[in-house]
Amino acid sequence: MFAESIENVRFSIVSPDMIRRISVAKLIVPDTYNEDGYPIDGGLVDQRLGVIDPGLKCKTCGGRAKSCQGHFGHIELIRPVVHPEFSRLVFLLLQSTCDTCYRALVSEKQIEALKEVEEQTGLTKVKSIRKCPYCGAKQKKLKLERPTFFYMEGERLKADTIQDWLSKISDEDMRILGTDPSMVRPEWLILKVLLVPPVNARPSITLENGDRSEDDLTHKLVEIMRINQRLEQDIDAGAPQIIIDDLWELLQYHVTTYFNNETPGVPVARHRSTRPLKTLAHRLKGKEGRIRYNLSGKRVNFTARTVICGDPNLTINDVGISKTIAERLTTPFHVTHWNMEHAKGLILRTEYPMAINVINPDGVRKRVTETNREELISLLAPGWVIERQLVDGDIALFNRQPTLHKLSIMAHNIKVLPGRTMRMSANATTPYNADFDGDEMNLHIPQAIEAIAEARYLMRPMDVIMSPRDGSPTMFVDEDGILGAYILTRNESRYTKEEACALLSAASIFELPEPDANGMYTGKSIFSMLLPDDLDYEERDRKGNTVIIKRGELVEGYIKKESVGSGSGLLFRKIYSDYGHQALVDFMYRFTKISYFALYMNGLTIGIKNYLTDKGIESETTKIIKNVSDEVGKLLDQYKDKSLTVLPGYTRRETYELLAHSTTGNARQLGTHFIEKTMSFDNSAFLMPTLGARGSVLNLVQMLMFLGQQSVRGKRISRGYHGRVLPYFRRNERSPRSKGFVSSSFMNGLEPIEFYMHAIGARDSTMGKSLITAVSGYLMRRLVHALQDIYVETDLSVRNAAGEIIQPLYGSDGIDTSAELVR
Amino acid sequence: MIVMAKRSNSGKVQYGEPVGVVTAQSLGERSTQMVLRTFHQAGVSSEVISAGLPRLIEIVDARKRAKHALMTIRFDKGIAKDYERVKEIKQKLEEVSINTLINGFDENLKNGTMLLHFDKDAMSAHSITLRKVMEILSSRFPDIEVSNEGNEVTIRYKKRKDVRGVRTAFVHVRDEIVSGVEGIQKAVINSEGETFYIAVSGSNLKGVMDIEGVRPENIYTNDIFEVLSVFGIEAARNAIANEIAYVFDIEKASMNFKHIALLADTMTYSGTIKSVGRHGVAGDKESVFARAAYEETIKHFVNAGFFSETDRLRGVAENIIIGRQITVGTGKVKLMIKNEELERFKPEDGEKE
Repeated sequence: MFAESIENVRFSIVSPDMIRRISVAKLIVPDTYNEDGYPIDGGLVDQRLGVIDPGLKCKTCGGRAKSCQGHFGHIELIRPVVHPEFSRLVFLLLQSTCDTCYRALVSEKQIEALKEVEEQTGLTKVKSIRKCPYCGAKQKKLKLERPTFFYMEGERLKADTIQDWLSKISDEDMRILGTDPSMVRPEWLILKVLLVPPVNARPSITLENGDRSEDDLTHKLVEIMRINQRLEQDIDAGAPQIIIDDLWELLQYHVTTYFNNETPGVPVARHRSTRPLKTLAHRLKGKEGRIRYNLSGKRVNFTARTVICGDPNLTINDVGISKTIAERLTTPFHVTHWNMEHAKGLILRTEYPMAINVINPDGVRKRVTETNREELISLLAPGWVIERQLVDGDIALFNRQPTLHKLSIMAHNIKVLPGRTMRMSANATTPYNADFDGDEMNLHIPQAIEAIAEARYLMRPMDVIMSPRDGSPTMFVDEDGILGAYILTRNESRYTKEEACALLSAASIFELPEPDANGMYTGKSIFSMLLPDDLDYEERDRKGNTVIIKRGELVEGYIKKESVGSGSGLLFRKIYSDYGHQALVDFMYRFTKISYFALYMNGLTIGIKNYLTDKGIESETTKIIKNVSDEVGKLLDQYKDKSLTVLPGYTRRETYELLAHSTTGNARQLGTHFIEKTMSFDNSAFLMPTLGARGSVLNLVQMLMFLGQQSVRGKRISRGYHGRVLPYFRRNERSPRSKGFVSSSFMNGLEPIEFYMHAIGARDSTMGKSLITAVSGYLMRRLVHALQDIYVETDLSVRNAAGEIIQPLYGSDGIDTSAELVR
Repeated sequence: MIVMAKRSNSGKVQYGEPVGVVTAQSLGERSTQMVLRTFHQAGVSSEVISAGLPRLIEIVDARKRAKHALMTIRFDKGIAKDYERVKEIKQKLEEVSINTLINGFDENLKNGTMLLHFDKDAMSAHSITLRKVMEILSSRFPDIEVSNEGNEVTIRYKKRKDVRGVRTAFVHVRDEIVSGVEGIQKAVINSEGETFYIAVSGSNLKGVMDIEGVRPENIYTNDIFEVLSVFGIEAARNAIANEIAYVFDIEKASMNFKHIALLADTMTYSGTIKSVGRHGVAGDKESVFARAAYEETIKHFVNAGFFSETDRLRGVAENIIIGRQITVGTGKVKLMIKNEELERFKPEDGEKE
């Protein structure tokens, strides 16, 4: 609520005065606890800065460890030091102002010119001026030795001199240099007072042996104070200037590392155990820093996480959760005049769907216990909220990491099921990129009514089923579903009345189609029962197979990947656009159920028998391999006698390599063609890849014929020993085999040499994959940060956070990308 | 007609739709599936194509020197089928330096002379005459004298005091480009059926446009900054979009062009090309928090303090940080109701509590 009232946030620099006013204690003792383990007054854990021990009370606000959020203190530095993070800006200021009269080195003329150019920050532009336009003094040469040493004409400028200089720059001139002097005075960039964060921000931990271990910041502050104190004593004692300067420099070092222990040019401050200290900058910076870890990403309640597995009895909109989860998580029930009775009933219940907490209108949460039920009921009034256990039909956000796109979080209807895992439809796995080999997923229960409404009407899988990337369905049927659909809808499938009833009832249909002349039911007619009565549909794939549906009857062809599978999902798209998303969900559910059941009735098995086929394969394999070696041999001869036609833009050697690679690579295509020609649908191992259910014909080639060319970085394997990949070969040997062509099949087993080649290729592809996830992950982060503020205005123009127009009309037609299919 | 209108209206983008994020996710998610290497398009053409993820990153980063600058020059019908004319143009394109025309050289730094042994075959291959070379040299280097004896050309440096100066001058002479277009390293003639076209590595739109027989509309370059400097920002925007689309095309990854166009527009709407990273779109945001949440956290806070910047909290990242609804999507709309209307929802006296 508080956040809503913030209009804007203005940054500035805390002035020394402000620090003293914020501070509740001036710290003087460079130590923490005394011998009794009690905080020292004026020390770094002074009780006025707040308390972290449960027994003590804060001396400033009287609060206990939990209620007091701590108070700032301060250290008065004996000699000023440069704030390391500002040293660049200090240097710029020194360069931009006159070393004699301290005016900005901008002539009146230039100021006029600057006024015309809107909102110029003069700071960087002024640097090169040599002579002060006001007092005429020639400017001395300034040098900044990072991070905090300033020199003028080779002579060291100490922090107090710099502070003096900066304080003499007038407000007027600061305005010219681009800052707001009412907010920031340049002398504040040099520190005379150091703000000390409350102990709550740097809590000590008590180790098992009772010893205290202080936070790194406290360590650093102790050191700063120790040096500060020594410096004071030495100055008072009238110590020689060199000693004082040394201590001063040391003080500067400690302050520098206190702010940023990674300041370039400064040795890293270390703990006794040589571990580098984590100081202020570390707390903010990077992925584990305050900004990205705690502010851009926040932890939430009302969540669950377990292993997921598939359940064909769920639609894509559902998620099955265990009773354990349903009992623990809650959803708010808002009490009104009209649902009072129900609310009271909820509180009175003592078993499963019962109330866990009640929240009164002041926001105080009370647990419902055995003893306070009656009392709570008497208090219950409109405006109260009851936190109730989850039941079927509640909405939950379901998520799998990595959350790469918006479909990685969708809203599912809860179904409470026996068992411990979370269940989902296998058809909804694709957008999450999930499988059931042990994947875990997260569940979030939205609590605000707005959040619930949004989840319920904008985030269900069926609301986002069409991908905004290219308009294709993101959820579809695959694997068993496609196989089952083929078995059901192929021409020869006939079912008895009993079978037809079983099939249709699996899909919750309790009517029968017309039987054929023999009293049997065709698979097509059974399948047609799923289709809307007025559906007309036609589809033709690349191989010329057609699927024709007329008036809701499947009259020709069998259902395959093109109709319902990934990529196109043409039939699904048709139903989606003509009958709506709910119809598609229902259809997909029934389709899957009936397919699974048809597959279950028919059975489908593969075994070694599928791969022990006729001898044709063997001879063809030898033929292909021989052809490949012959052709590569021919290329080699041409290469050697220089008759090879060099491809434009390539050297002769590159041309040879290229052609050799494409020749050996082509062997796989030849193998695929042969398998496709000789095998038939009787062979389940061939049926699956051809329908698009699982695997590819290439897998068959690799198992039955030969493995083919192995490659590293898109080329034939060529690295290794001098002139050869493995010492087994002769130097400069150029046979296909020596460059990673594997002519054995998985069935026959690989030769040792081939095994090595295969391992080399496998390693290359594994490495490539892991590399690409890192690179593309960072690309994604950059893209999101660059584009996240961009939205569509009411006039359909595209704008960014500042309201600048990026496109006058989104995509030049204002059509949502999920509504148009690409290709 | 009515159905079409209905469909089209139901397909309209909704107010507040965070199209930027949708674009980022669509592109980003696809990029996870790309290959991480530049590859040659096998056999068919000479084009050493930089493609896949590296190319995408190159475009998005707005790198000034693209790894593989590439131009394709096509011709009108008259020329395209005439191999000899195409070859003639090719010769005018390719950069020819003295180095490629000589067999070797002898330099005498003491005397300030250098003897260049010109190769007749190389010269005729590039159809260049010795006289022309000498002319070019003496006009471009006022400090040298050029004389020849057959194919041997003597270069004499007039100021002969400084050995080092002489040496650098000689190196410059040998590197001097005597013909061709600056920046075009290699030109290759390719054919598509009957017609020929030239593919060159390196890019120089202006230089190539000036060559006789070449028309500007027949040239394509993949160097985006080249397009920017010659044709301006609108063209650069199209160049970015086309190049990104091409990357996805090669990968056979389907992608709605609107995403690509939106990215290209975001990179160019300011009038210059801004990269996507910390030195571009993301680093130039108005919000301090948004910049700090991205990269270089400390730097942004320090500068914000010194210049007393104000964060107006209009973007997404900053609102997440301070803990309120984001400013896109459903976070943009508010529900309002008149006080009088609210009365209607109070339970009436007789109604059961």
